[in-house]
Amino acid sequence: MKATRKTIMPNILLTVGLSLLLCGEAWFGYRISTLSSQQEEIKTDYSVSNNITFGILSVDQWREKMAAVVDEKVNQFNMTAWQKKELQKKVAKQLNTLVDKAVAEVNKPQKSIGGKLKKLAFNAVVDPEEIKAEVPNFAATIVDKINKPASKKRLKGIINAKIDQLKKETFDNTEPASVTVKRHIYKKYHVDNTAAFEKKINLQLSNIRKLMYIYTFGMIGCVLLALCLWLLLKKQVRLHTALYILSLLFAFVLLLVGVTSTIIEVDARIQSLNFTLLGEKLAFSNQVLFFQSKSITGIIKSLVGQPKPDAVLVGILILLFVIILPVLRMMGKGILIWGREKYAENKLVRFLALDLGKWDMADVIVVGIAMTYIGLNGILQSQLSDLNIKEELLSTVTQNNSSLQPGYYIFIAYVAYVSVLSLILKRIKPIEV
Amino acid sequence: MNETHISSKQPIALKLLLIFGLAILLCAEGYFGYHLHQLSERQEEIKKDYSSVNNISSGLFSVDQWRDKVSGIVSHQIRDFTLSPKQKKDLQKEVEQIIIALIDKAEALINKPKKTIDGKIKKFIVKNFVNTDDFREKAPSLAKDIIAKVYNPKNKKQLSNIAMSKFDALERAEYLDSTVAATKAATDKIYKKYQATSNEELNNKLTSSLSQIRTLTYNYSFAMLGCIAIVLSLWWILRKRVDLHATLFIMSLMFAFILLFIGLTASMIEVDARIKTLDFMVLGEHVIFENQVLFFQSKSILDVVKVLIGQPGTDAVLVGILILVFSILFPVMKLSATGIHLLSKRKIARNKIIRYFAFQSGKWSMADVIVIAILMVYIGLNGLLDSQLRSLNIKSDDLNVITTNNTALQPGYIIFISFVLYGLILSTILKFISPHESH
Repeated sequence: MKATRKTIMPNILLTVGLSLLLCGEAWFGYRISTLSSQQEEIKTDYSVSNNITFGILSVDQWREKMAAVVDEKVNQFNMTAWQKKELQKKVAKQLNTLVDKAVAEVNKPQKSIGGKLKKLAFNAVVDPEEIKAEVPNFAATIVDKINKPASKKRLKGIINAKIDQLKKETFDNTEPASVTVKRHIYKKYHVDNTAAFEKKINLQLSNIRKLMYIYTFGMIGCVLLALCLWLLLKKQVRLHTALYILSLLFAFVLLLVGVTSTIIEVDARIQSLNFTLLGEKLAFSNQVLFFQSKSITGIIKSLVGQPKPDAVLVGILILLFVIILPVLRMMGKGILIWGREKYAENKLVRFLALDLGKWDMADVIVVGIAMTYIGLNGILQSQLSDLNIKEELLSTVTQNNSSLQPGYYIFIAYVAYVSVLSLILKRIKPIEV
Repeated sequence: MNETHISSKQPIALKLLLIFGLAILLCAEGYFGYHLHQLSERQEEIKKDYSSVNNISSGLFSVDQWRDKVSGIVSHQIRDFTLSPKQKKDLQKEVEQIIIALIDKAEALINKPKKTIDGKIKKFIVKNFVNTDDFREKAPSLAKDIIAKVYNPKNKKQLSNIAMSKFDALERAEYLDSTVAATKAATDKIYKKYQATSNEELNNKLTSSLSQIRTLTYNYSFAMLGCIAIVLSLWWILRKRVDLHATLFIMSLMFAFILLFIGLTASMIEVDARIKTLDFMVLGEHVIFENQVLFFQSKSILDVVKVLIGQPGTDAVLVGILILVFSILFPVMKLSATGIHLLSKRKIARNKIIRYFAFQSGKWSMADVIVIAILMVYIGLNGLLDSQLRSLNIKSDDLNVITTNNTALQPGYIIFISFVLYGLILSTILKFISPHESH
């Protein structure tokens, strides 16, 4: 009687203590998955509003920038001395031909008396050579007149009006779309301009990142504590059953969080594109070429959501091997350890707990994701570095922000933890297989 | 389950029958596999040709294309050059000012003190007979006349002709023509190869032959899977005939080898990134570029490995090697290990490495399946912008969106997955029939 009581008391104590720890872990896990979905949303919004479609690929954007350059050029237009001289020469040439034409016109053989008289008077009074001598003077007058501020202003006005008209005839449909997108997103974040938006988003993201790492360490700490308990209670065989089942719950929480929070993020962008056009600097900054951020469930969802049957098949396979089978295995182990002979001897339970290891591919996916990450990163890096140009007139800086996210580390922790649990199971339940 | 059991005549005949039947099935599988292999090679070639014809460098990034489009726009602009009434008025004022300035100048010239008699007479005449103020008053109407003169259709045409000839000269630059000739030679070669005359015809031909190849490859791969299904059902039928198991298993391994080989060499992922349409107005004219292919290729696992190993970064090379290990070395080791385990003596069969490869290693081939699946999810990025824009009621058709939504898995992938699953099932079967305790 006393003996049972003695076992019950520590059992209850252990259960309560571990339940508290489990709650802590679950809370951390919950926070991580909400934070990672929040982060994903923010980054998606950011990459949509900075998408290259609304930047370099947008004719509207180019039009604005080009028009600004041309406006500037027109407004600052000033004739150099050399240009004035050239213009004067051209005007003089025109005037000379004009004079020649006029003289030839008058000197045509005339039939009427009036005409003849006119011709006579003209020849008497006007000396074409004399007029021609004055031509350079007239030309200078014309050029001076054009260069007077008032005239220049008027001419510029005409040109600007024409440019505006041409501007109106050049467009694509990105402008309304990007305005709608920006307005929507700015409203969501309660900001009203790009600078504030960037600032707010960067702040939020760095906060989230910090918190997420803290929570991740918290979770892993909880799991480590649970493992330490195993070391401490190595000799207390009576407590092993309760401890093991609770440990399985820890693993379950780890799996759940690891599967639902973001594992990799791929982000390729042109950080800045600077070039000089007609002496003016044009710049595009933060052009997002490509952004994806996904959790394992996200990957499965997008595979299953595809119209192609083979992608759906792969999605289902991953779901089966990475989520369903691990869960089944844990349940099998739990039932096995729980001890009722009837269940433990059940073929199905034993199969789940012991023989299914080959089909449980959580460890494979860890390696697979690492391989994908490195491979994708390598390819992106090489493609992007091809885009890096640094010349006097044109310079681009590209950036590859791909990274593994906390979800991946939690998933690794899950895999490691489960393999430790398997070892423990073998030791505490030496079942003859 | 010992070899000594097989002694009577009947099992030998049965065995021969089994081997014979399975060999025929194996030949059929090999035949399908061979066709699949051929088809996927042809598909790769067609895609290469298609993307070189529709490539962005012969469309959006082609000087030739732009020259044609821009010259159309510019000539239109030059011919239809118009000034709005306000602009006309401003210009008129300007001309007027110039005329007045000229009159002033002339007056000043005439009023200069003259030395010759002739000059003095002229000055006198002009002063008495010509009223310069009259001229000044007439300046506005003169200016109006001048503008009207310049602006009348005939003169405008002449002026625009002058401008056009200048522009044409610019357009026919030498270096341009040489690049155009080079691209034309390349496309002509492809046209000839497919006996097409126009771009449209070629595209139609290529897409139709691609879709044909697709259905054929699917048929062949399903036929291959059918062969595998038959083998597995044979296992079910013969599950009581312990004496035949060894033979059946060795034959099954042969099937697995063919699956593996085809799975590795047939194309398994297709990446297709293109700009659907690029449609914008320049100076009131539509400029449309359609179907700009950035990248259109299909790759087998071996190709992916090749690409990764060809990268400069060591980490990518490492991944290439890892994929090679998981997709080729592990499966081959596994198949040989299962064979050895079944056939050889107890001591070798209980070797730890052999046992690991025979029973546990199969799942690591799945690593490749996962890598390719995740790559596909990541490369197929159309979803991001499309769904976001749709939620805001913006049609993304009008935008210049780069899509890679045609990224898809290919039959080679299905074959490879079935190989992995088949291998796993075989190792499970092995556990049941193994002459040596596996645990």
